[in-house]
Amino acid sequence: TMSAHQKYRYENDCKPDENRNKGASRWSQCRKRGADGSLRTSHAVEEPGKCSQSSRRPESFTTPESEGPVSRVKNWGDEVEAEEVRSNVQRDAHRYRRRILEADFPQRDRKISSGSSDSRDSRDSKESPAKGDIESDEATLIRRQKQINYGKNTLAYDRYIKEIPKHLRQPGVHPKTPNKFKKYSRRSWDQQIKLWRVKLHAWDPPAEEGNDVQQIEEIDLGEIMDFELDVECSGDTESPCPISSGASLALAEVIFTICYPIPSKISSNSISQYFHFFLFLMIDFCGGNFPCYVLGYTHFVYTAFDNF
Amino acid sequence: MENSSKEEYTIRSFDLETQKLLKTALKDPGSVDLEKVSNVIVDQSLKDQIFSREAGRICFTIVQAEAKQTNGNVFRRNLLNRLQQEFKAREETRKRSTHEWVCLVSFICNIFDYLKVNNMPMMALVHPVYDCLFRLAQSDALKNEEEVDCLVLQLHGIGDQLEKMNLQLMDELFNLLRDGFLLQEDLSSMGRLLLLEILEFRAGGWTLSETAQKYYYSEVTD
Repeated sequence: TMSAHQKYRYENDCKPDENRNKGASRWSQCRKRGADGSLRTSHAVEEPGKCSQSSRRPESFTTPESEGPVSRVKNWGDEVEAEEVRSNVQRDAHRYRRRILEADFPQRDRKISSGSSDSRDSRDSKESPAKGDIESDEATLIRRQKQINYGKNTLAYDRYIKEIPKHLRQPGVHPKTPNKFKKYSRRSWDQQIKLWRVKLHAWDPPAEEGNDVQQIEEIDLGEIMDFELDVECSGDTESPCPISSGASLALAEVIFTICYPIPSKISSNSISQYFHFFLFLMIDFCGGNFPCYVLGYTHFVYTAFDNF
Repeated sequence: MENSSKEEYTIRSFDLETQKLLKTALKDPGSVDLEKVSNVIVDQSLKDQIFSREAGRICFTIVQAEAKQTNGNVFRRNLLNRLQQEFKAREETRKRSTHEWVCLVSFICNIFDYLKVNNMPMMALVHPVYDCLFRLAQSDALKNEEEVDCLVLQLHGIGDQLEKMNLQLMDELFNLLRDGFLLQEDLSSMGRLLLLEILEFRAGGWTLSETAQKYYYSEVTD
């Protein structure tokens, strides 16, 4: 890695006489104060023997010390994307605080803002948090926003929002984006995200539409998703869980935990076998009655592994 | 529409096939190879000085079109990473061809100007842009009119934005320009004029007074 004061790279450009830096330091020594008002110390003593010192041209003029941590290792694409998520989160937080304030003074004709509607439930007086109860830690908000983005960046979500306009969405029946501004424990939040995404799978496009690539991308979620995959249903009365049998649950857990994060290491044959068995077992236990979203979920995992 | 015809005028510098590619990218970005599009644009920007000052607008349009159509930012990411590569290699580029070097600076600044994130300039580009300008303010660059011209052009265009993002660096840059104007002997008289003008321009709050405007930009009658 490069040091802050960069290495000299100019073999040709070694002309101390023309070196204006030298002239500049002659001139600047006449000035006691630098541009920022601080007293100037004399410039570093130049060693005549070392050409590299006197006509030193750093690789970068904007050294880290002047600006705080500046990583030269990151690529600009990633940096700008991170900037964008951060500034979106800040904008959302601003809007949310305004909405909370409005909720204290309810108005009949509420203007619908065009921005993200993730945090729309400020109207619900039961759920409306006191101002001190808003999640405001930026790192947390950014992490949550990324999890939400993963869910929204799916064909299923696209199809869902096209099919069910906002005014027709029923709580409990239709998936609802978790509100990142509410205070939740990490575990509770991750669970909400999981359940939300499971519900969204009901809108997965059918296999014939060539959705394989998108399904594969869904698997590659990295640490952000942190999938424990315990398909428990006790806490959440809003999403009815069809799986009543403990045995099939345990089997599902085992299979999912093995297969989910690192599919590339597992041969597709063994997976196919498992899933045939798994599906049989599930259908057997529950008498063939499966709400579509569960089938959708297993369908998603199954088709994805077909491609490995 | 005025904007689209402006873009079309700019892409006239390309061969027909590339023109078609770019036109499609502007309207239907999901259907083209956006990595290829970004490379095409960067390549041309390094060759064609006029294009390097206009390409930002095209890039912005494609970025927005892609965001709207597919919610993706493949184009922006490819563009920025390619730009970063070119930036890293800027010293070699400068040695090889001053023309390419000034095109590169002009392009980076143009991107900084046009590609905003939520209406804010991209913070990731602030230091790279300053690096380019600092390089142009070195003595070996100031003696080339071509480089001075590029420097003042960029400061006219984005100086005020850069200053808002980082005042201290702008102050340091202008110290160099002052020193160069006063001390450097091998400046051309045009080079000196350009430096004096930009010094006055910033001192006036990134605008020229009417008298200064007359001084620098009126036809000399005698």
